[in-house]
Amino acid sequence: MRQKILSSLIGVVIALGLGAIIMAIQGYNPLETYGALLDFSALNSNAFPTTLKNAVPLILTGLSASIAFASGPVNLGQPGQLVIGAMFATVAGLALDLPPVIQVPVLLVMAMLGGAAWAGIAALLRRAFNMSEFIVTLMLNSIADLLTAYLIAGPLADRNAGSPTSAPIAASGFLGTLGPINISVLIVAVTFVIVWFVFTRTTAGYEWRMAGQNELFARLGGCAVNRNFITVMLLTGALAGLAGGLVVMAGPHRFLRGLGANYAWDGIMIAVVANNGLLGTVLYGLFFAMLQTGALGTELITNVPGEFTQVLQAIIVLVVVAGRVYLARLLDQLSARRLGQRSDIRRQISDA
Amino acid sequence: MTPVIEMRHIGKVFPPNVVALDDVSIAFEEGEIHAVVGENGAGKSTLMKVLFGSEQASRGEILYHGQPANFRSTRDAMAGAQGEATAPGGIGMVHQEILLIPEYTVWENVVLGVEPVVAQGWRGRLLGQLDTQAARARVQAKISEFGFNLDPDALVGDISVAARQKVEILKLLYRDVSVLILDEPTAVLTPQEVPQLFNELRRLRDKGKTILFISHHLDEVLALSGKVSVLRKGRMVGTVDAATTSQAELARMMVGREVIFEQHKVPVQPGDMVLEVRGLSVLDENRKERLRNVTVHVRAGEIVGVAGVEGNGQFELVNVIMGLLKASQGEIVIAQHNVAHQSILERREWLAYVPQDRGRQGGSLNASITENAIMTHHRLNPDLVRASGWVLDWSRARQFAQALRQRFGVVMDTPSDPLRALSGGNQQKVILGREMSLDRPLLLLDQPTRGLDVGSMEAVHDEILKMRAAGKAILLISADLSELLELSDRVVVLNRGEVVADVPTAETDREQVGRWMLEGRDVAGD
Repeated sequence: MRQKILSSLIGVVIALGLGAIIMAIQGYNPLETYGALLDFSALNSNAFPTTLKNAVPLILTGLSASIAFASGPVNLGQPGQLVIGAMFATVAGLALDLPPVIQVPVLLVMAMLGGAAWAGIAALLRRAFNMSEFIVTLMLNSIADLLTAYLIAGPLADRNAGSPTSAPIAASGFLGTLGPINISVLIVAVTFVIVWFVFTRTTAGYEWRMAGQNELFARLGGCAVNRNFITVMLLTGALAGLAGGLVVMAGPHRFLRGLGANYAWDGIMIAVVANNGLLGTVLYGLFFAMLQTGALGTELITNVPGEFTQVLQAIIVLVVVAGRVYLARLLDQLSARRLGQRSDIRRQISDA
Repeated sequence: MTPVIEMRHIGKVFPPNVVALDDVSIAFEEGEIHAVVGENGAGKSTLMKVLFGSEQASRGEILYHGQPANFRSTRDAMAGAQGEATAPGGIGMVHQEILLIPEYTVWENVVLGVEPVVAQGWRGRLLGQLDTQAARARVQAKISEFGFNLDPDALVGDISVAARQKVEILKLLYRDVSVLILDEPTAVLTPQEVPQLFNELRRLRDKGKTILFISHHLDEVLALSGKVSVLRKGRMVGTVDAATTSQAELARMMVGREVIFEQHKVPVQPGDMVLEVRGLSVLDENRKERLRNVTVHVRAGEIVGVAGVEGNGQFELVNVIMGLLKASQGEIVIAQHNVAHQSILERREWLAYVPQDRGRQGGSLNASITENAIMTHHRLNPDLVRASGWVLDWSRARQFAQALRQRFGVVMDTPSDPLRALSGGNQQKVILGREMSLDRPLLLLDQPTRGLDVGSMEAVHDEILKMRAAGKAILLISADLSELLELSDRVVVLNRGEVVADVPTAETDREQVGRWMLEGRDVAGD
């Protein structure tokens, strides 16, 4: 565990260092830039709540990917599941206008249903025809994008708007703030606790994890691997769908063009960087949200283009993921060399 | 006479803190057959790998023909002593897993890595065109020189396992090594093929080669070698003459205490029929019959051993009983329940299973010991769960893992360590412990002591006999004939998917079982 944290920290520090070098070569001041980034993402009174709100779709799609990858199914359909979930929430938000205490849960459930259904298509095809969910979920992303684009340009278009977008959802579905923090953040916090509990403390979560590590072993042990596959696809689809719903309800309150942005792709990337660990996904999600939110600061204060944070993100992914294995091996070898040099080696293994 | 190889004060630490070798000094004479024995984890493979150059020692030095020679790579080792005008041959190693290319011929496999190129002109120098004639001829010459029975043009995928092993040895001889290291050479051979290998090794020794080999089989070690060195927990215990020592003494040196070789089986009256396999037939994806009309019975308190050369139907038998494969014909009845259409979990109500492959089937190496220990128990043992089976009680799970550790003597640090942190023998103990604790009427064991050392084997055999005395029905599949004959009450032999013999152990012997395994039914009848 300690080694995991150490290697993550080293990776991030090295990446930030590389970023500083790139900035310096271009003539920008790295320290000032990082300072501005920190300021606009965390230190300013408005900054941290904004970062948290931006982290919502990153964390949820990241969790979706982490759980799927760690349990076996390769669900790469978070982008599609997110927009379908957003669409379901939007349609429900247009059709219903109930008191907020009912409207909000209903919209959230609809969002989750949308994501789950979209992932369910891939799960069904896998079970019925043994089609690789890796490919199917990826292809469904494109279909979802085009489908929603059609809907907001056609049947659901807001005729008053100048660009393709749906009409705004009923106000009872808007998510406001509790103090400085947006309610969507609280929803994510609750979701994380539930997800963590299910994944690490329940029988089902145990079976998922074992199947993800060694499917044959789980099967021979009596786990219902095929049924669990479907369950995990549906659940992770729902998480991505929930992200979509929250983006609509806490954000523009309508399904406008480009709603999904890169959230879900970033989420998948975060899951990989975090090596599918749940807490790691949340922390990296927050960190990447900080980078994205702080980008405004770098533009305003030091004139570094906002896209630079994307460069930084990419470097972090490369360094942490590529360096992970080498770093672990290096630390192990150093420890071994130290032990090997001693002339009074004593083994700690007790007599069998 | 200077020893051909001297290893002095070798130490080896594997990252992060596993001490594999601790101050090991050993010398090998030229032209001898020298065995290195020890329990799993004792360091014998590591010692040979350090000698061969595939591992680097952390401390110590190696002298080859009197010259310092800490080989940096296996190529160096095979090339031999450094900086010698008349360099004696190098050191080569034959590994336990046969690493050949099945689609290539024998000669193609032998020359791989040192291919002769056409000598004249640009085709040789620039393009490196293979001189196939010369390669084939040279390989044939080596085959004749050492009297192997090999066809250089045969495809390696088509020849027997024993022949493939000879190809591995031939590869080394082709490179003119003078020292051959063999790692568990008899692990892949049937009893009938072992004497042939030994004859070849003796012939090689007579031609001046030095042979070092690692083995678990103490009887074979004594039959073949001149000297035997024993390692224990990374330290050298001693070197003895094979002629003046015994299996018991070797075992005592390996383990540090007296080892019982022959279990004394209590006579147990077999009870009800627990496993009944009737007329079972299984087809593979090419519609070829892997099992034909197989009938096997196991009663409570009985151990039935299944013998057979690997690939004759044992894999299909085990997987059909477990539920991974479907039978095309026949019935499987466990404890009076017809399980043919039941899921694996439903079958687990009656059966515990220790699979052949610890890493691929028996457990998850990255998961913790606790997580590995509770598999199947998480569904069948109400003590480990709460909320009607939905939530796992991890503290009880940890206690369960600790109880396993006590009962089966597993050497581990804490139950939250990953399974891969344990030695092979201890991993096997965890898996065995898990399955035996399920306390089901039928216990299916597939190679339960594969890769285990003498001490662990003894402990496992003990537990198996205790299960038998407690009235469990046990189906034991093992490639180790001594183990099979020692433990089983009855022996069933599979050959080409058919049962060719089903006799009480007392009425047969090793030679006869070996014949059934290789030849099938006796021509003269059962």
